[in-house]
Amino acid sequence: MTDTGRTAKPMTATPASSAETAPPLVELRNTSKTFSGIKVLKNVGFDVRPGEVHALLGENGAGKSTLIKILSGFHTPDEGGEIRVNGRPVSFSSPRDARKAGIATVYQELLLFPDMTVAENIFIGHAPRAGMGALDWNEMRRRARALLDDLDSHDLDVDARVGGLSVANRQRVEIAKALSQDARLLIMDEPTASLADADVRRLLDVVRRLRERGVAIIYISHRMPEIFALADRVTVLRDGALIGTKDIEEVDDASLVSMMVGRSIDQLFPKVVVPIGAPVLELRKVSFKDEVQDISLTLRAGEILGIAGLVGSGRTELALTIFGITPATSGEILLNGRPVTIRSPQQARDLGIAYVPEDRGLQGLVKPQTIRENVSMALLDRISKGSIVDRVKESALARDAIARFGIRARGPEQRAGQLSGGNQQKVVLAKWVSTNPKVLIMDEPTRGIDVGAKSEIHALMCKLAGEGLAVIMISSELPEVLGMSDRIMVMNGGRMVRTFDRSEATPDVVGAAMTHAGASHAGGAA
Amino acid sequence: MSFETATVRRSASTGFAARTFATYGQEFIILACIVVLFVAVGLIAPRFISPTNLTTIFVGNAYIAVAAIGMSMVIISGHIDVSVGSLIGVLATISGTLAVSGYPVWFAWLAPVIVGMVVTSFIGVLVAYVRIPSIVVTLGMLSILKGGLISVTGGAWITNLPPDYLIAQFRLFGIPSPVWFMIFLTAVAAMFMRYTAFGRSIYAIGGNGEAARVAGIPVERTTVTIFAIHGLFAGIAAVLFATQLQVIQSTVPPNLELTVITASVVGGVSILGGTGTVVGSTLAAILFAAIGSSLIFLNVSAYWLRAVQGLLILATVLADMARRHRIG
Amino acid sequence: MTLSLRSFMRHEAVLGILLVLVLFVLAQQSDKFFTTANILNQGRLMTEIGLIALPMTFVIITGGIDLSVGSILGLCAILLGVFWQNLGLPLPAAMALAVCVGALAGLVNGLIITRFKVPPLIATLATLALYRGLAEGISQARSVRGYPEWFFVLGQGEVLGVPTQLWILIVFAIGAAAILGLTTFGRATYAVGANETAARFSGINVDRTKLLIYTASGLVSGIAAVIFVSRVSTTRSDMGTGVELDVITAVVLGGTSIFGGRGTIIGTVIGLILVQALKNGLALSGVKGDGTIVVIGVVLIFAILASNLFSRNGDG
Repeated sequence: MTDTGRTAKPMTATPASSAETAPPLVELRNTSKTFSGIKVLKNVGFDVRPGEVHALLGENGAGKSTLIKILSGFHTPDEGGEIRVNGRPVSFSSPRDARKAGIATVYQELLLFPDMTVAENIFIGHAPRAGMGALDWNEMRRRARALLDDLDSHDLDVDARVGGLSVANRQRVEIAKALSQDARLLIMDEPTASLADADVRRLLDVVRRLRERGVAIIYISHRMPEIFALADRVTVLRDGALIGTKDIEEVDDASLVSMMVGRSIDQLFPKVVVPIGAPVLELRKVSFKDEVQDISLTLRAGEILGIAGLVGSGRTELALTIFGITPATSGEILLNGRPVTIRSPQQARDLGIAYVPEDRGLQGLVKPQTIRENVSMALLDRISKGSIVDRVKESALARDAIARFGIRARGPEQRAGQLSGGNQQKVVLAKWVSTNPKVLIMDEPTRGIDVGAKSEIHALMCKLAGEGLAVIMISSELPEVLGMSDRIMVMNGGRMVRTFDRSEATPDVVGAAMTHAGASHAGGAA
Repeated sequence: MSFETATVRRSASTGFAARTFATYGQEFIILACIVVLFVAVGLIAPRFISPTNLTTIFVGNAYIAVAAIGMSMVIISGHIDVSVGSLIGVLATISGTLAVSGYPVWFAWLAPVIVGMVVTSFIGVLVAYVRIPSIVVTLGMLSILKGGLISVTGGAWITNLPPDYLIAQFRLFGIPSPVWFMIFLTAVAAMFMRYTAFGRSIYAIGGNGEAARVAGIPVERTTVTIFAIHGLFAGIAAVLFATQLQVIQSTVPPNLELTVITASVVGGVSILGGTGTVVGSTLAAILFAAIGSSLIFLNVSAYWLRAVQGLLILATVLADMARRHRIG
Repeated sequence: MTLSLRSFMRHEAVLGILLVLVLFVLAQQSDKFFTTANILNQGRLMTEIGLIALPMTFVIITGGIDLSVGSILGLCAILLGVFWQNLGLPLPAAMALAVCVGALAGLVNGLIITRFKVPPLIATLATLALYRGLAEGISQARSVRGYPEWFFVLGQGEVLGVPTQLWILIVFAIGAAAILGLTTFGRATYAVGANETAARFSGINVDRTKLLIYTASGLVSGIAAVIFVSRVSTTRSDMGTGVELDVITAVVLGGTSIFGGRGTIIGTVIGLILVQALKNGLALSGVKGDGTIVVIGVVLIFAILASNLFSRNGDG
């Protein structure tokens, strides 16, 4: 009934000749964007031709999302830049304007209405009308059906509540929504980040089908095989600047990585090798529902264990399980050789486990509060007598943290929300290091912070490991994982697929394990 | 179209009946409750289903159903109005006062509707543009309206209402006009909610405000309009309330706002916004009126009515949350 | 001095100046206003609302709201009478039991909010109806009178020339200020309101914090009920109707952000005095009782309006 049996076609790029002669459908010229004084996009030129898949690559914080938000009308570019559609200059003051110009975006966090049906979600805002301007529900359902059939989604019910659909199906609804508005350019932001393999194959088929119909596609993904399977051209951004736009034939894995990273890995990460001590944390077949499955590992004092994997591979879920946010549903956790139960973050903290979370603004910091209040938050019980907080000790703690972690702030009473990203991250790190943990889990420790602060965080991490802390580092940036870790564990689909020693880990083998790993490698153990 | 696609389509789409139940599940449940209640209490106390008692139930409570229509729209869009009881009290007093002061009858009917829309539009502006939570605005409005009314009128009775003003006592084909109002307004509002782009945008705003904005829906303007429509229904409800008896007491009917909110919520309007229908709220208003009346026939003290009301809201809310957690 | 602390001070300073201004204007209106007798009497009248406003400050700082406090007050008042008169319990036992019921009612609120994740507004709106309904159902509109003389000491008596209940309010206010300002629990309260997720990720037990706060809200409403009954010498099921409005007004007027994360007990106390002074002053200058409710409604809306603009500026 469905076409999941159909295999992906051999990966040949479409003939480039026609694409080269066609005029650009959408073009950005000399486009910059400044947020509160910081230039996050610097004089970028970029164009998309009809019927091409244009891959957009770059590390986190390279400016990809800013660029697509300019194209989809969320941000207006700084003075001096220009957007052209079919050669004519345009200006978008709202997402609506961009959609009228034929530009539609499928975001990572899908913008759907959970309580409405599939058909209504597709046509919200531009529903077909019958007499007297009344909505024509039958026509709406009929057209939704046709659009979904077009996307090879015969199994998707147009009357189903969107809230009850899988991520893959919701994504199809979003794509159908874009097509229902005659989008000529479809921007897809990491569409495969949270999809299972079978769904990824179907999505790639859909993208090819759209290209055949002449729809232009900007495709953002970290998965190299997809890019080589789909893209006609590829553009790389780094630190907000355009590094280059190339035909896909001109590049390979290695050259793309070096365009994205721009420096050699050794230069970037001055890893200090420290003696590795006794085992601190041991996991034995730890699972949480089907998000984390049968993870076994041993973490030693002084060791930095890097966990690599794509978004949705179970990395963060594993951290949340160890930290007690989503307590393990089966398996055993040992700390210093003794079995422990961790049912809440409080227990994890009291056992000496610290977690510097992925989402700094939401999970890490209380932005309206001061540095002092943030730093002391996880150890209030220890600096209080009879539950009265000792303000003197607390202030001393905050001043220590500012000095020790090099936090650039006016003082302990400055609000955390006023600091730069890097300094905010140092505050979160200081909060957890102050608890004197034995195990420190850092989830995306340098996401979205500038290069200088990045290396400071890395240096701090090395120093902490040198002091005997056992560190788990989760990162989407392969160079960071390779540069910082003593050992690397690769996750995929909630399982550990492979582990590498520092010496044997290269971008190629780790990257391959992250992206290709399927059933064949499953079941590795540390 | 090939046979194969047709098969696929049938298997992939739910039937009409299933679809209807999926959309109107809560409404069917309430309808069933109403039927069961009338049959059961009717068997115990036949006078419960006598025409006189039925008329009392419907005429005395139709205005609640009408007010619940507007309230449902407000709650579906993700807001709330706890001042509606006071508003209806104020509007009824305005209407009655105009009627006895010799103004034309149509003016006494129209004025409260317009004043109601002005007041709720003002609430809408504070909520949508100034971004004060609706609970706070309407709590404040509640005390302004309530205090204002009592301090101006002292709770006096308005008597000598002209007979041609008492619209709630008119009958058409032997059926009292409030029943017609209730049915007609519910039907119109249901069509409006289902078949107009504006109606759908009410659901969109309550379901996912950010996505609604991206879909090009002017969230602020729509919110103010929703509150204005709510004022329209409150105005009509006030006229029905004012004209059901020969006299009007110029005070705020006790607990009215809670009764109206209960009708909306029990009728299937999700407290978190985004779902529900006005058919459900009207049915719930009828159910609630019937429960109130049946307590008398079952010799249960009417003083337990509010406890029943509270339990009903609580049960519905908990069921709603449980459903959401299951679906995720 | 840092920015955040300065803006705090600014808000309370503005409030303080406003209070002085209001007191001055009202004193011009009536020479009865600034008499010791009047001031002490006003203190007596505002005790119930003042007591409930203390835990309400905690509730609102966590980003929640408790609309059921007035109904809990009514329920506890009725039960006090029922326990004493109908069940024949000794009055002290009836008082204790009534307060326990208040705590239980608050605990139920907390459980609905933390276990079932029902928004506090809706949860307490439902229990507002439920608790008031129980009060009405249990009382059947009968009132209980004839309490022994010693019981009225609480609501009508004086200690060292000051109304008894004012002492209770002062002790509770100091206690609440200390808990909020100095203890780990107070810190947890602010953290939960400012960023619940980050609080949880920092090892703060968010659910326990909320549960305790809503329970305290019920408990204090129960205490307020006992004082109320003692003050008016009778119990009726409609006692405390609309109290939630006065309480929320005082708290919000005192600078507690309705969005959570900000607020102080001192602010609440100033807000409380301001509201009471307005009520009293208006009454003395001839505005009828119900007219003062209008003023409270207007003041509530403007207070939020101001604090809204204020917090938006603050986040810059």
